[in-house]
Amino acid sequence: MSKDAGQAHLDTYLAQVHRHVRGLPDAEVREIVAELRAHVLDKLDGDLTPAGVEAAIAGLGAPREIARVNITERVVARAEARRTPLSVLGGVVRLAGLSVYGLFAFLVSVLGYLSALAFLITALIKPFAWDHAGLWIVRNAPDDLIASWHLGVTDNPRYGHEILGGWIIPIGIVLSLVFAWLTWRFDIFSLRLMRRRARRGR
Amino acid sequence: MGRERAGPADDIAGWEIQLRKGALSLAVLAILWPGRLYGLEILKRLSADAAMSIPEGTIYPLLNRMKAEGLVDSEWVEADAGHPRKYYSLTEAGRRRARDMAAGWRAFARGLDGLLGPLFGDKG
Repeated sequence: MSKDAGQAHLDTYLAQVHRHVRGLPDAEVREIVAELRAHVLDKLDGDLTPAGVEAAIAGLGAPREIARVNITERVVARAEARRTPLSVLGGVVRLAGLSVYGLFAFLVSVLGYLSALAFLITALIKPFAWDHAGLWIVRNAPDDLIASWHLGVTDNPRYGHEILGGWIIPIGIVLSLVFAWLTWRFDIFSLRLMRRRARRGR
Repeated sequence: MGRERAGPADDIAGWEIQLRKGALSLAVLAILWPGRLYGLEILKRLSADAAMSIPEGTIYPLLNRMKAEGLVDSEWVEADAGHPRKYYSLTEAGRRRARDMAAGWRAFARGLDGLLGPLFGDKG
Protein backbone atom coordinates (compact mmCIF):
# COMPACT_ATOMS: atom_id res chain seq x y z
CA MET A 1 0.00 0.00 0.00
CA SER A 2 2.73 2.36 1.11
CA LYS A 3 4.82 1.19 -1.80
CA ASP A 4 2.01 2.03 -4.22
CA ALA A 5 1.68 5.48 -2.64
CA GLY A 6 5.43 6.00 -3.02
CA GLN A 7 5.27 4.87 -6.64
CA ALA A 8 2.34 7.22 -7.27
CA HIS A 9 4.26 10.11 -5.70
CA LEU A 10 7.24 9.44 -7.97
CA ASP A 11 4.99 9.13 -11.04
CA THR A 12 3.36 12.48 -10.23
CA TYR A 13 6.76 14.16 -9.89
CA LEU A 14 8.01 12.72 -13.17
CA ALA A 15 4.78 13.66 -14.95
CA GLN A 16 5.35 17.26 -13.83
CA VAL A 17 8.93 17.18 -15.11
CA HIS A 18 7.61 15.72 -18.36
CA ARG A 19 5.13 18.57 -18.72
CA HIS A 20 7.78 21.21 -18.08
CA VAL A 21 10.31 19.82 -20.58
CA ARG A 22 7.70 19.48 -23.30
CA GLY A 23 8.95 21.21 -26.41
CA LEU A 24 12.23 19.31 -26.50
CA PRO A 25 12.30 16.43 -28.99
CA ASP A 26 10.25 13.45 -27.76
CA ALA A 27 13.25 11.14 -27.55
CA GLU A 28 15.10 13.62 -25.31
CA VAL A 29 12.06 14.09 -23.08
CA ARG A 30 11.75 10.31 -22.61
CA GLU A 31 15.48 10.07 -21.91
CA ILE A 32 15.41 12.82 -19.28
CA VAL A 33 12.42 11.35 -17.45
CA ALA A 34 13.74 7.78 -17.60
CA GLU A 35 17.10 8.85 -16.21
CA LEU A 36 15.51 10.81 -13.36
CA ARG A 37 13.36 7.78 -12.53
CA ALA A 38 16.47 5.58 -12.39
CA HIS A 39 18.20 8.21 -10.24
CA VAL A 40 15.38 8.29 -7.68
CA LEU A 41 15.05 4.49 -7.58
CA ASP A 42 18.81 4.18 -7.04
CA LYS A 43 18.66 6.65 -4.17
CA LEU A 44 15.74 4.80 -2.60
CA ASP A 45 17.50 1.45 -2.75
CA GLY A 46 14.17 -0.39 -2.45
CA ASP A 47 12.62 1.95 0.13
CA LEU A 48 9.72 3.04 -2.03
CA THR A 49 7.74 4.81 0.72
CA PRO A 50 6.23 8.26 0.17
CA ALA A 51 8.67 9.72 2.71
CA GLY A 52 11.62 8.06 0.99
CA VAL A 53 10.50 9.27 -2.43
CA GLU A 54 9.94 12.76 -1.06
CA ALA A 55 13.48 12.90 0.32
CA ALA A 56 14.97 11.62 -2.94
CA ILE A 57 13.16 14.08 -5.19
CA ALA A 58 13.91 16.95 -2.80
CA GLY A 59 17.57 16.38 -3.69
CA LEU A 60 16.81 16.76 -7.36
CA GLY A 61 14.77 19.94 -7.01
CA ALA A 62 11.40 21.20 -8.21
CA PRO A 63 10.19 19.90 -11.60
CA ARG A 64 10.29 23.42 -12.95
CA GLU A 65 13.95 23.85 -11.97
CA ILE A 66 14.94 20.45 -13.34
CA ALA A 67 13.23 21.35 -16.59
CA ARG A 68 14.91 24.76 -16.72
CA VAL A 69 18.43 23.32 -16.37
CA ASN A 70 17.77 20.62 -18.96
CA ILE A 71 16.11 22.88 -21.50
CA THR A 72 18.66 25.68 -21.07
CA GLU A 73 21.65 23.33 -21.50
CA ARG A 74 20.24 21.81 -24.67
CA VAL A 75 18.92 25.00 -26.23
CA VAL A 76 22.18 26.87 -25.61
CA ALA A 77 24.27 23.94 -26.88
CA ARG A 78 22.22 23.84 -30.07
CA ALA A 79 22.48 27.62 -30.57
CA GLU A 80 26.23 27.56 -29.82
CA ALA A 81 26.82 24.82 -32.36
CA ARG A 82 25.93 27.07 -35.29
CA ARG A 83 25.85 30.54 -33.78
CA THR A 84 24.03 32.06 -36.75
CA PRO A 85 21.83 35.05 -35.83
CA LEU A 86 18.75 32.95 -36.52
CA SER A 87 19.77 29.95 -34.40
CA VAL A 88 20.88 32.25 -31.57
CA LEU A 89 17.64 34.23 -31.74
CA GLY A 90 15.73 30.93 -31.76
CA GLY A 91 17.46 30.00 -28.51
CA VAL A 92 16.54 33.32 -26.90
CA VAL A 93 12.91 32.90 -27.98
CA ARG A 94 12.85 29.36 -26.58
CA LEU A 95 14.18 30.50 -23.18
CA ALA A 96 12.06 33.66 -22.95
CA GLY A 97 9.42 32.05 -20.75
CA LEU A 98 11.80 30.35 -18.31
CA SER A 99 13.07 33.31 -16.32
CA VAL A 100 12.72 37.06 -15.88
CA TYR A 101 16.06 37.57 -17.57
CA GLY A 102 14.90 35.35 -20.43
CA LEU A 103 11.96 37.65 -21.04
CA PHE A 104 14.20 40.72 -20.82
CA ALA A 105 16.64 39.25 -23.34
CA PHE A 106 13.78 38.43 -25.68
CA LEU A 107 12.37 41.97 -25.54
CA VAL A 108 15.79 43.54 -26.12
CA SER A 109 16.32 41.22 -29.11
CA VAL A 110 13.00 42.16 -30.66
CA LEU A 111 13.75 45.85 -30.17
CA GLY A 112 17.26 45.46 -31.58
CA TYR A 113 16.26 43.60 -34.72
CA LEU A 114 13.25 45.85 -35.34
CA SER A 115 15.54 48.89 -35.14
CA ALA A 116 17.92 47.27 -37.61
CA LEU A 117 15.01 46.52 -39.92
CA ALA A 118 13.64 50.08 -39.66
CA PHE A 119 16.99 51.63 -40.64
CA LEU A 120 17.43 49.19 -43.51
CA ILE A 121 13.93 49.72 -44.91
CA THR A 122 14.23 53.49 -44.69
CA ALA A 123 17.57 53.41 -46.51
CA LEU A 124 16.20 51.18 -49.26
CA ILE A 125 13.01 53.19 -49.75
CA LYS A 126 14.71 56.59 -49.80
CA PRO A 127 15.57 56.60 -53.55
CA PHE A 128 11.93 55.87 -54.44
CA ALA A 129 10.30 58.24 -51.94
CA TRP A 130 12.86 60.99 -51.65
CA ASP A 131 10.59 63.54 -49.97
CA HIS A 132 8.86 61.18 -47.58
CA ALA A 133 11.44 58.69 -46.36
CA GLY A 134 14.16 59.51 -43.86
CA LEU A 135 14.90 60.44 -40.31
CA TRP A 136 12.71 63.33 -39.17
CA ILE A 137 12.50 65.61 -36.18
CA VAL A 138 8.83 66.34 -35.74
CA ARG A 139 7.19 69.07 -33.63
CA ASN A 140 3.53 69.69 -32.96
CA ALA A 141 3.99 73.47 -33.14
CA PRO A 142 6.79 75.63 -34.56
CA ASP A 143 8.02 76.70 -31.12
CA ASP A 144 7.34 73.37 -29.46
CA LEU A 145 10.27 72.42 -27.27
CA ILE A 146 9.33 68.80 -27.33
CA ALA A 147 10.33 67.09 -30.53
CA SER A 148 10.00 63.48 -31.49
CA TRP A 149 12.03 61.35 -33.84
CA HIS A 150 10.43 59.70 -36.74
CA LEU A 151 12.19 57.07 -38.80
CA GLY A 152 10.74 55.69 -41.99
CA VAL A 153 8.10 57.00 -44.34
CA THR A 154 6.07 59.97 -43.18
CA ASP A 155 3.63 62.50 -44.63
CA ASN A 156 5.41 65.83 -44.68
CA PRO A 157 4.83 67.18 -41.17
CA ARG A 158 3.87 70.85 -40.93
CA TYR A 159 6.51 71.50 -38.32
CA GLY A 160 9.74 69.66 -38.29
CA HIS A 161 12.35 68.75 -40.78
CA GLU A 162 14.22 65.87 -42.19
CA ILE A 163 17.81 65.44 -41.15
CA LEU A 164 20.48 63.46 -42.98
CA GLY A 165 18.78 63.77 -46.42
CA GLY A 166 20.43 61.37 -48.85
CA TRP A 167 22.94 60.38 -46.17
CA ILE A 168 20.22 58.18 -44.67
CA ILE A 169 21.09 55.61 -47.34
CA PRO A 170 24.68 54.83 -46.29
CA ILE A 171 24.12 55.74 -42.64
CA GLY A 172 20.90 53.69 -42.47
CA ILE A 173 22.61 50.64 -43.94
CA VAL A 174 25.56 50.93 -41.58
CA LEU A 175 23.33 51.49 -38.53
CA SER A 176 21.15 48.58 -39.52
CA LEU A 177 24.21 46.32 -39.62
CA VAL A 178 25.45 47.73 -36.30
CA PHE A 179 22.09 47.15 -34.58
CA ALA A 180 21.83 43.62 -35.98
CA TRP A 181 25.40 42.79 -34.94
CA LEU A 182 24.96 44.20 -31.43
CA THR A 183 21.71 42.30 -30.96
CA TRP A 184 23.36 39.08 -32.15
CA ARG A 185 26.25 39.53 -29.69
CA PHE A 186 23.82 40.40 -26.92
CA ASP A 187 21.87 37.21 -27.64
CA ILE A 188 25.01 35.05 -27.45
CA PHE A 189 25.99 36.75 -24.19
CA SER A 190 22.48 36.24 -22.80
CA LEU A 191 22.35 32.55 -23.68
CA ARG A 192 25.64 31.92 -21.91
CA LEU A 193 24.52 33.94 -18.89
CA MET A 194 21.27 31.97 -18.66
CA ARG A 195 23.18 28.70 -18.87
CA ARG A 196 25.50 29.76 -16.03
CA ARG A 197 22.54 30.76 -13.93
CA ALA A 198 20.64 27.55 -14.62
CA ARG A 199 23.66 25.47 -13.61
CA ARG A 200 23.91 27.36 -10.37
CA GLY A 201 20.22 26.77 -9.76
CA ARG A 202 19.30 30.42 -10.05
CA MET B 1 24.21 44.84 -0.14
CA GLY B 2 24.48 41.43 1.47
CA ARG B 3 27.40 40.70 -0.75
CA GLU B 4 29.36 43.71 0.50
CA ARG B 5 29.04 42.52 4.07
CA ALA B 6 30.44 39.11 3.20
CA GLY B 7 33.42 38.40 5.44
CA PRO B 8 36.80 36.92 4.51
CA ALA B 9 35.51 33.40 5.29
CA ASP B 10 32.77 33.84 2.70
CA ASP B 11 35.30 35.13 0.20
CA ILE B 12 37.40 32.00 0.65
CA ALA B 13 34.33 29.77 0.39
CA GLY B 14 33.24 31.51 -2.81
CA TRP B 15 36.73 31.22 -4.25
CA GLU B 16 36.84 27.49 -3.47
CA ILE B 17 33.48 27.01 -5.17
CA GLN B 18 34.78 28.73 -8.30
CA LEU B 19 37.92 26.62 -8.20
CA ARG B 20 35.94 23.36 -7.95
CA LYS B 21 33.54 24.44 -10.66
CA GLY B 22 36.43 25.00 -13.05
CA ALA B 23 37.70 21.49 -12.35
CA LEU B 24 34.31 19.76 -12.54
CA SER B 25 34.53 18.38 -16.05
CA LEU B 26 38.07 17.13 -15.46
CA ALA B 27 36.87 15.43 -12.27
CA VAL B 28 34.01 13.71 -14.11
CA LEU B 29 36.35 12.53 -16.87
CA ALA B 30 38.79 11.22 -14.26
CA ILE B 31 36.03 9.41 -12.37
CA LEU B 32 34.98 7.67 -15.59
CA TRP B 33 38.57 6.75 -16.50
CA PRO B 34 38.57 3.25 -14.92
CA GLY B 35 35.22 2.24 -16.40
CA ARG B 36 31.54 2.94 -16.91
CA LEU B 37 29.37 4.38 -14.12
CA TYR B 38 25.81 5.64 -13.76
CA GLY B 39 24.74 9.13 -12.65
CA LEU B 40 24.31 8.57 -8.93
CA GLU B 41 27.68 6.78 -8.68
CA ILE B 42 29.37 9.71 -10.40
CA LEU B 43 27.71 12.13 -7.96
CA LYS B 44 28.81 10.01 -5.00
CA ARG B 45 32.40 9.82 -6.20
CA LEU B 46 32.44 13.58 -6.84
CA SER B 47 31.27 14.31 -3.35
CA ALA B 48 33.33 11.63 -1.53
CA ASP B 49 36.63 11.85 -3.41
CA ALA B 50 36.75 15.41 -4.69
CA ALA B 51 34.58 17.25 -2.11
CA MET B 52 32.53 18.47 -5.06
CA SER B 53 28.88 18.53 -4.16
CA ILE B 54 26.93 19.82 -7.12
CA PRO B 55 23.14 20.14 -7.30
CA GLU B 56 22.02 16.60 -8.15
CA GLY B 57 19.82 17.74 -11.00
CA THR B 58 22.72 19.35 -12.84
CA ILE B 59 24.81 16.19 -13.36
CA TYR B 60 22.60 14.82 -16.15
CA PRO B 61 22.61 17.97 -18.31
CA LEU B 62 26.41 18.05 -17.81
CA LEU B 63 26.77 14.41 -18.91
CA ASN B 64 24.44 15.07 -21.80
CA ARG B 65 26.62 17.97 -22.92
CA MET B 66 29.76 15.84 -22.67
CA LYS B 67 27.98 13.25 -24.77
CA ALA B 68 27.06 15.86 -27.36
CA GLU B 69 30.74 16.86 -27.44
CA GLY B 70 31.66 13.23 -28.08
CA LEU B 71 33.58 12.84 -24.81
CA VAL B 72 31.35 10.19 -23.27
CA ASP B 73 29.00 7.53 -24.52
CA SER B 74 25.97 6.15 -22.74
CA GLU B 75 23.94 2.96 -22.74
CA TRP B 76 20.94 1.69 -20.86
CA VAL B 77 21.63 -1.49 -18.95
CA GLU B 78 19.07 -3.75 -17.24
CA ALA B 79 20.56 -3.86 -13.76
CA ASP B 80 20.09 -6.30 -10.89
CA ALA B 81 18.46 -3.41 -9.05
CA GLY B 82 15.23 -4.16 -10.92
CA HIS B 83 15.27 -1.02 -13.05
CA PRO B 84 17.40 0.01 -16.00
CA ARG B 85 20.33 2.34 -15.44
CA LYS B 86 22.05 4.62 -17.88
CA TYR B 87 25.79 4.02 -17.79
CA TYR B 88 28.35 6.51 -19.03
CA SER B 89 31.79 5.65 -20.34
CA LEU B 90 34.65 7.61 -21.89
CA THR B 91 35.05 7.61 -25.64
CA GLU B 92 38.49 7.71 -27.25
CA ALA B 93 38.08 11.49 -27.58
CA GLY B 94 37.09 11.63 -23.91
CA ARG B 95 40.24 9.78 -22.87
CA ARG B 96 42.35 12.13 -24.97
CA ARG B 97 40.60 15.15 -23.44
CA ALA B 98 41.07 13.74 -19.93
CA ARG B 99 44.81 13.22 -20.53
CA ASP B 100 45.23 16.71 -22.00
CA MET B 101 43.31 18.38 -19.19
CA ALA B 102 45.20 16.38 -16.56
CA ALA B 103 48.52 17.42 -18.10
CA GLY B 104 47.38 21.05 -18.11
CA TRP B 105 46.30 20.76 -14.50
CA ARG B 106 49.61 19.20 -13.43
CA ALA B 107 51.65 21.89 -15.14
CA PHE B 108 49.51 24.63 -13.61
CA ALA B 109 49.60 23.10 -10.13
CA ARG B 110 53.37 22.60 -10.28
CA GLY B 111 53.90 26.22 -11.25
CA LEU B 112 51.61 27.48 -8.54
CA ASP B 113 53.21 25.20 -5.95
CA GLY B 114 56.54 26.82 -6.74
CA LEU B 115 55.01 30.23 -6.11
CA LEU B 116 53.41 29.08 -2.88
CA GLY B 117 56.59 27.55 -1.45
CA PRO B 118 57.70 30.71 0.39
CA LEU B 119 54.31 30.93 2.09
CA PHE B 120 55.08 27.69 3.85
CA GLY B 121 58.66 28.63 4.68
CA ASP B 122 60.32 26.63 1.89
CA LYS B 123 63.56 28.03 0.64
CA GLY B 124 63.19 29.02 -2.95
